Amino acid sequence: MSDHTLTCANVYDARPATEVPAESPLAWSYQNTGRPSVSEKSRVVLRERAMLGHLILRGGAIVLDDAVRQVLGLQLPGRPNALSHDESGERSIQWLSPDEWLLIVPGGEEFELEQRLRDALGDARDTAVKNYAIVNVGGGQTLVELEGECVRELLMKSTPYDVHPDAFPVGKGVTTVFAKSNLILRRPTEDRWELVLRRSFADYLYRWLLDAGAEYAIGVEA
Amino acid sequence: MNQSVKQPNRLGEGGRIDRARTLSFTFNGKRYTGHAGDTLASALLANGVDIVNRSFKYSRPRGIVAAGPEEPNALVQLGSTEAAQVPNVRATQQALFDGLTAQSTNGWPNVQRDVMGLVGKLGGRFMPPGFYYKTFMAPASMWMTYEKVIRMGAGLGRSPMVPDPDVYDHLNQHCDLLVVGAGPAGLAAALTAARSGARVILCDEQEEMGGSLLDSRERLNNQPAAQWAEQVLAELAECDNVTLLARTTANGYHDHHFVTLHERRTEHLGETAPVVDGYCPSRSRMHRVRAGQVLLATGAHERPLVYAGNDVPGNLVAGAVSTYIRRYGVVPGTKLVLSTSNDHAYRVALDWHDLGKASGREVVAIVDARQAPDGELVEQARARGIRIITGSAVLEAKGDKRVSGARVATIDAEAFKVTGQAETLACDTIASSGGYSPVIHLASHTGARPTWSDEVLGFVPGLVKGVHAAGSARGIHDLAEGLADGVAMAARALEALGRTAGSIELPQVDALREGAACALYQVPHEKQTLRAPKQFVDLQNDVTAAAIELATREGFESIEHVKRYTAMGFGTDQGKLGNINGMAIAARCLNKTIPEVGTTVFRPNYTPVTFGAIAGRHCRELFDPERYTALHQWHVEQGAEFEDVGQWKRPWYFPQVRAEAANGERESMAEAVARECLAVREKVGILDASTLGKIDIQGPDAREFLNRIYTNKWAKLEVGRARYGLMCRDDGMLMDDGTTSCLGENHFLMTTTTGGAAGVMEWLELWHQTEWPELQVYFTSVTDHWATMTVTGPEARKLLAEITDIDLDRERFKFMDWREGKVADVPARVFRISFTGELAYEINVQANYARHVWKTLFEHGDKYGLTPYGTETMHVLRAEKGFIIVGQDSDGSVTPEDLGMQWAVGYDKPYSWVGKRALSRSDTRRTERKQLVGLKPKDPKVVLEEGAQIVFDPDHAIPMPMVGHVTSSYYSPTLESGFALAVVKGGHRRMGEIVYLPSADGKTHAAEIVGPIFYDSKGERQHV
Repeated sequence: MSDHTLTCANVYDARPATEVPAESPLAWSYQNTGRPSVSEKSRVVLRERAMLGHLILRGGAIVLDDAVRQVLGLQLPGRPNALSHDESGERSIQWLSPDEWLLIVPGGEEFELEQRLRDALGDARDTAVKNYAIVNVGGGQTLVELEGECVRELLMKSTPYDVHPDAFPVGKGVTTVFAKSNLILRRPTEDRWELVLRRSFADYLYRWLLDAGAEYAIGVEA
Repeated sequence: MNQSVKQPNRLGEGGRIDRARTLSFTFNGKRYTGHAGDTLASALLANGVDIVNRSFKYSRPRGIVAAGPEEPNALVQLGSTEAAQVPNVRATQQALFDGLTAQSTNGWPNVQRDVMGLVGKLGGRFMPPGFYYKTFMAPASMWMTYEKVIRMGAGLGRSPMVPDPDVYDHLNQHCDLLVVGAGPAGLAAALTAARSGARVILCDEQEEMGGSLLDSRERLNNQPAAQWAEQVLAELAECDNVTLLARTTANGYHDHHFVTLHERRTEHLGETAPVVDGYCPSRSRMHRVRAGQVLLATGAHERPLVYAGNDVPGNLVAGAVSTYIRRYGVVPGTKLVLSTSNDHAYRVALDWHDLGKASGREVVAIVDARQAPDGELVEQARARGIRIITGSAVLEAKGDKRVSGARVATIDAEAFKVTGQAETLACDTIASSGGYSPVIHLASHTGARPTWSDEVLGFVPGLVKGVHAAGSARGIHDLAEGLADGVAMAARALEALGRTAGSIELPQVDALREGAACALYQVPHEKQTLRAPKQFVDLQNDVTAAAIELATREGFESIEHVKRYTAMGFGTDQGKLGNINGMAIAARCLNKTIPEVGTTVFRPNYTPVTFGAIAGRHCRELFDPERYTALHQWHVEQGAEFEDVGQWKRPWYFPQVRAEAANGERESMAEAVARECLAVREKVGILDASTLGKIDIQGPDAREFLNRIYTNKWAKLEVGRARYGLMCRDDGMLMDDGTTSCLGENHFLMTTTTGGAAGVMEWLELWHQTEWPELQVYFTSVTDHWATMTVTGPEARKLLAEITDIDLDRERFKFMDWREGKVADVPARVFRISFTGELAYEINVQANYARHVWKTLFEHGDKYGLTPYGTETMHVLRAEKGFIIVGQDSDGSVTPEDLGMQWAVGYDKPYSWVGKRALSRSDTRRTERKQLVGLKPKDPKVVLEEGAQIVFDPDHAIPMPMVGHVTSSYYSPTLESGFALAVVKGGHRRMGEIVYLPSADGKTHAAEIVGPIFYDSKGERQHV
């Protein structure tokens, strides 16, 4: 048995050290449903950002804020539904519920990040640690970006949440109903929207998006 | 042929139609022409088509009565092909397009010559309310036969028999203010709100926005009223904060200002949606609007008067006649008689008269129920020399397929008596007006009761918080006042939103002095109502004044009962024209006032909505989400048959091509399952178990939490070990099961059933958040993060050893241990958990790498006979071992002890746990509870039916006492016999007894009660 299974939490690098074929949750969809190409007519463009690192952070805001500032140099968003990014825009942290945040980082960074956060939060070998949880969920979800002049209308077809700029400014993210499933909907920039899809629902949601987007000649970037 | 011959009732000029664009259409098999801008109704009238339908019950010929959604008669079936069939379209709401094909919904074999008409004529008198119930109820068994014949004669359209070629969709909308209706009040309100910067949606059901302004005689700012409407609409169209939705009906007003709008996007263009830019847009769209405030500017429906023969084609509501003349350039006749109770309707006579003698049109007379009408419009009519007969009404329309005359006499409306000698005026058109009923339907959907206003002579809407009504919708029919009311009500709504109303300049309207209207609903006849010729109240449902009178005589005093007995206001009509008249008649018969009688409840939808728009894109392959595992592609490529488990698609079994079959024929399910079962028992099989729920649990109190949520003990589970756990609801009944592994002192991984995953997650949060918030623990779903592959069978160790660095030695990696390491170079957690009773390893890897690991196993698996198996084989194998499936062998009324699983209940745990107290109730301790046992059929070839009832004595007189039922039953290729799990009363102490299962085919099977474990009862195989 490896060393860290004897500690309080089983911290675990799920990525192989060697080159192993990996498949995003949309791999089957691309093959089965296809990828309509992007053209000048495309008023919505869909782009998957596959294989990113996704971590769920749970705990008290004050405890986690210290660690996140220390490790990522980012403030933990305290406002409900707030989303913030680091300067590069590559790392984001999103409020999900009063004691739950989603961290998305470039693929491969998540294991080291988890370890550094755990170090900052307290000695992982101490059974009297502070109360928090960090969970790698990167295999279970994927990020999809949507851009184009008709994205908002496509979203209106799909979610009862109000996506008007007055109600959904840049820097907001919500977990909401989407078609007959749910997902995380975020707006990192003025023109770009992001969807975080759960792996098992990804194909349904992809087919839904293509269907709803057909009217806008939706294209999928390879 | 020139135009006038083609369309005899079409005027040479005027109206909002485009005479340069001629459209051809077919009605009841005959070709006609109309113009762009026509409705089907205006085009039919232009062509002089009098009869558009046969009535529902009496099969009487019927013509067009109205010009809007209140039209009761002109219901047509659209569509030239089977796929394009649309029933119950109101011709008054259907824009004409080239090639439109329509048919009457009623009338068999056709509207001119109708079989049911004979029944109506002969039986008219003998068809009182409740006729069908009373006549055809005996014998009850014959109703189905009667019904078929009656329906053929009296149906209201039919649905298509082939799939709809069009697509439909939904759009979720949010706004500060929703304005329903783009007439004068609605436009003024929308403009006021738009200028305040609020998010506004303005919808209107007509082809063109503007409402009454489109055909008004009045002038705004000394211009035609329609011009002002155009200016306002142009400004609104420029506003980013305004959404304009024409051809969009607000059909349902639901809770919390959630309003459904049905937008007909292409129904004016063709019977199916045309291709635009290579794409077919949705034919109609449901806007699901969540509004902050709602302003109803829905206008009013004119009430026709109720008089004898008022259903003969040629009887119209007065305002509709004006609309046809002014908006469509159509005059629906030559000689007009107007019967009115108010000034407003005089416009019709003026419009008709002003066509001029040369047009061949003549106003025969205005028959006014008032003794001394004196408003400005009356003066205008007098000045034109139109004959006005005061204190009188049309008692009866003469004619059969078209009005030929009107019998007119003086009446005493109060006393409900004809006071003078009737005079017959020759005419072909009778326009009638009994006043104006505010359209209160949407307000009524909210549950708010309308209130009667003696001033308005109608019901005005009851309004819940956040709903406002303006203009005619609340009885303000005067144009200038209606415009001002729109502004005022918008300001009120904006104030509630915390906004300041923008200012608008109201247009100049010439003041028009109107005289008071009188209350007139049913016109008296020389004969009593029950003996007079039919006086129709609800034309669509064929409800007469006599029927209402009879209903009240038969004891139906509540208006809701009268409605149900007579069918008044039923169906697609929803009482738009007839309800107020019906209530007035009921009030007269019961000697009450209208407010005392009350009103019926209007329900959604206001007008029919196509099912396509309700379904939107949630149809066909998008009907319901399908959840896939990371290995789905592999299963599809292997030709797996799938089973739905919740929303998951799980491989059910993997039928192989039969070795001996030349034609590629595949195994049957039984053959595939037998092969898969034997492979696991003898060699090695593999199952995709990724769908099992997985919950990551972290925190200093994780272990204590498990102690409280599970029935069994978790205090001593070591890191590196796994344990099976049972979860009960607080009533002591089993709700879920699964294994939970200790990953670290403060870290556990719980597994749940596939279907129970989301429910268990909520359950954990519920107990943590509401009962034990002091416990320091967090739960996170990792179901989708991990892919799980179960490798099981005697050869499993050898196979896995080829591709893992984990030490698989049986002493160092024991049953119910877990280890981590690499499998096929991928970091993995491997659990020695068995649901088959064989040696088993559950390999968990991050899902993105699952297919690589799975394929690598197969690369090494051939020599061991590695066989993929599905859920069916899994079920057989686990049942042979007596392992339960929650929800199949339990049903929410089964305790752990009923299942013989006392070993998994820790009554002596220091802290109480969910379900503990309930398990000490007298009922849960009864010895005669249904308990899980095995059943061995006496005939080994028999596979008992799942759900079959069990009896102790097959010779007992019926009804036999039923003592249990079969929960799981399969054929076991290993045992070479059928076997079953069942629950039987007191089953645990009945081992060896014979029970009986009478089956639906008349046979009774005998079976022996045995223990639930059929194979390897000592459990040795999973420990090897």
